[in-house]
Amino acid sequence: MKFKELIRKGIVTENPVFIQLLGMCPVLAVTNTAENALGMGAATTAVLLGSNFVISLLRKFIPSKIRIPAFVVVIATFVTMVGMVMKAYFPALDAALGLFIPLIVVNCLILARAEAFASKNSVAKSIVDGIGMGIGFTVALVILGAVRELLGFGSIFGAVMTWSSFEPAMVMILPPGAFLALGMLLALYNKIASMNLKKQ
Amino acid sequence: MSASSIFIILVSSILVNNFVLSRFLGICPFLGVSKQVETAFGMGMAVTFVMALASLMTYMVHHFILVPRELEYLQTIAFILVIASLVQLVEMIIQKSSPTLYQSLGVYLPLITTNCAVLGLTILNIQMELSMIEAVIHAIGAAVGFSLAIVLFAAIREKLEYYNVPEPFKGFPIALIIASFMSLAFLGFTGLV
Amino acid sequence: MREVIKLGFILLLITSVAAVVLGVTNDATGPIIEQREQEEKERALKTLIPDASEFIAVDCSLLIDKEDIVEAYEGIKDGVVVGYAVKVNPSGYSGDINIIVGFASEGKTTGIIIGTHTETPGLGSRIKEDAFVQQFTDKKTEDMLVSVKGIVGQDNEIQAISGATVSSDAVIDGVNAAILLLSEILMNHSSGCSCCG
Repeated sequence: MKFKELIRKGIVTENPVFIQLLGMCPVLAVTNTAENALGMGAATTAVLLGSNFVISLLRKFIPSKIRIPAFVVVIATFVTMVGMVMKAYFPALDAALGLFIPLIVVNCLILARAEAFASKNSVAKSIVDGIGMGIGFTVALVILGAVRELLGFGSIFGAVMTWSSFEPAMVMILPPGAFLALGMLLALYNKIASMNLKKQ
Repeated sequence: MSASSIFIILVSSILVNNFVLSRFLGICPFLGVSKQVETAFGMGMAVTFVMALASLMTYMVHHFILVPRELEYLQTIAFILVIASLVQLVEMIIQKSSPTLYQSLGVYLPLITTNCAVLGLTILNIQMELSMIEAVIHAIGAAVGFSLAIVLFAAIREKLEYYNVPEPFKGFPIALIIASFMSLAFLGFTGLV
Repeated sequence: MREVIKLGFILLLITSVAAVVLGVTNDATGPIIEQREQEEKERALKTLIPDASEFIAVDCSLLIDKEDIVEAYEGIKDGVVVGYAVKVNPSGYSGDINIIVGFASEGKTTGIIIGTHTETPGLGSRIKEDAFVQQFTDKKTEDMLVSVKGIVGQDNEIQAISGATVSSDAVIDGVNAAILLLSEILMNHSSGCSCCG
C-alpha cells in the first residue's frame, strides 16, 4: 500500500471517529473548545505515533500470548511521558484536559491500531499509519470542538466569529451539547455519503 | 466517616456527576452494549463488581507501594496493569466457580479492561483524596450511575426499533441525540449536593 | 513450564524498560514543573502583597484540621509583617478550585488570585473574570462574606455569577475559610515560627 493511501485512509475512508467510532470518551469530553480539541488530538497523535513505532519494532520479539499486556505497558509509558511533558510546558492545557490525559491509555483507537496494524507491519508503514490515524482523530475532534465553541461561545479558537446580537447557546459546551453535536455531525456525514453514492 | 458523607458521595456519583452522562466515562460500552435491556443490565453488574474491587486494589497499590517510594508518576501504568490482571483473575474465578454467572457476565469482562470508566474512577479516587471506605462507596455509586444510564438508554433504544427514523439518523446518530436528552435531564441534578 | 518463565521474563523486560524510561522522563520534567509552580506562586504572592520583600510560610502545624486551607504565608518587609496570603482549595462544581487570598496587615483583603480549576468552561470558569474577582478587593474581615443573586446592598455581599452559583459560592467559601484563619490564628500569633517541609 502506498504511504499516501495510508494517510488518506486515516483521515477520510477509515476516520477513527466518524467511521470507526473509536475513542468516544475524549471525543465527547474535551471538545468544548477548538483549542482543547486540538490539544487532545495532538497528545493522542503523539502517543499513537510512539506506540505504533515501538510495537512494530518489537513485533517479532513479543510472543502473541502476552501481546495485549505488553502493548498496554508500551502505551501507558508513552501516555505518562506525554502527560509529564504537558505538565511541564503546557500547564493550562494540562489542567483543561485533566483526567483525560491519563485516560488516553484506554483509548480504544490506540490499542486497535497496535493490534490491527503495528503488530503486523513494518516500522515505516506503522509510523505513517500512526500519523494518518492521529491526524484523522485530531481533525474530527477539532471539527466537533469548533462547532460546539461556535454555537456555545460564538467563537472559534477564541476569536469571535458571530455578530453582536448572537446569543450563544450555553448548552452546546455542556455535556448534552457534546452528544447532540456529534449525533448531528454523524447524520450529516451519512447524508453526504448517501448523496455521493446516488450520484455515482 | 458519617452517614451523611456516604450519602453525599452516593448522590453525587449516581446523579450529579453521573459517570456516563456528565463525566463522559465509559462511553464505548454505553453506545456498544445498549441495544437490549438485558445485556445492558449484565454489563452494569459486571462493571459494578470490577469497579468495587479495582478501587480497593488501586487504593492499596497507591498508598502502600507508590507513595512510600515516591513513585506516584507510575500511577497510570500501575493502575491499568492492576485493572487488567484483576479482570483476568475475576474471569478465571467466575469460570471455575460458577458457570451460570460466567455465562451471564463472562462475555462483558474482557471489554471492561478498556472501559475508561474503571481507570477514570481509580484515578479520581486518588485525586479526590478519598479514604479506602469512601473509595469503595464512590465505586459503588459510580457503577450504579453507569448501570442506571445504560439500562435507561437501552430501554429507550428498544422502543426506538419500532419507529421510523429518517435514514441518515439511523443507528448511532439517533442514539447520540437520545443520549443528549438524557444528559440534559441529568443536568437538572446540578447543585443537588 | 519453560514457556511460562520465558513469557514472564519478556514481560518483565518490557516493564523494566518502561520503568527506566519513565524514571528518566520524570527526572527531566520534574524540576521544570516544580520551578514553574514556585515561580507562579511567588508572582501571585508579590501581586497580593506588593510591599513585602520576602515571604515566610506559616507553621503548618497551625493549619492542621482547617478545612480548605492549603498553605499560609506572611509577607515581611524590614522584619515587620505587612500582609498575609492564604492558599485555599474549596470544592467547586467539578473539582477543587485553587485560590490565593491576600490580606493587608490591618486585616483587609487585598484581593484574590484564582489559579487552576476544573469548572465548566463558559459557566463556572467565569469566576476568573475581573468583574467577579474584583469584588473581593478591600473587604473588611469582621464579617463573613455572603453570596447574593442580583444587586449587592451590604459591604460584605458578593454578587454570584448568574448560572454559576455553585462555582461562585465555592470561591466565597474559600475566601471565608481564609478570613477565619486570619482572625483566629494569623493575627494572634508571633511571627517567625518554624515551618515544616
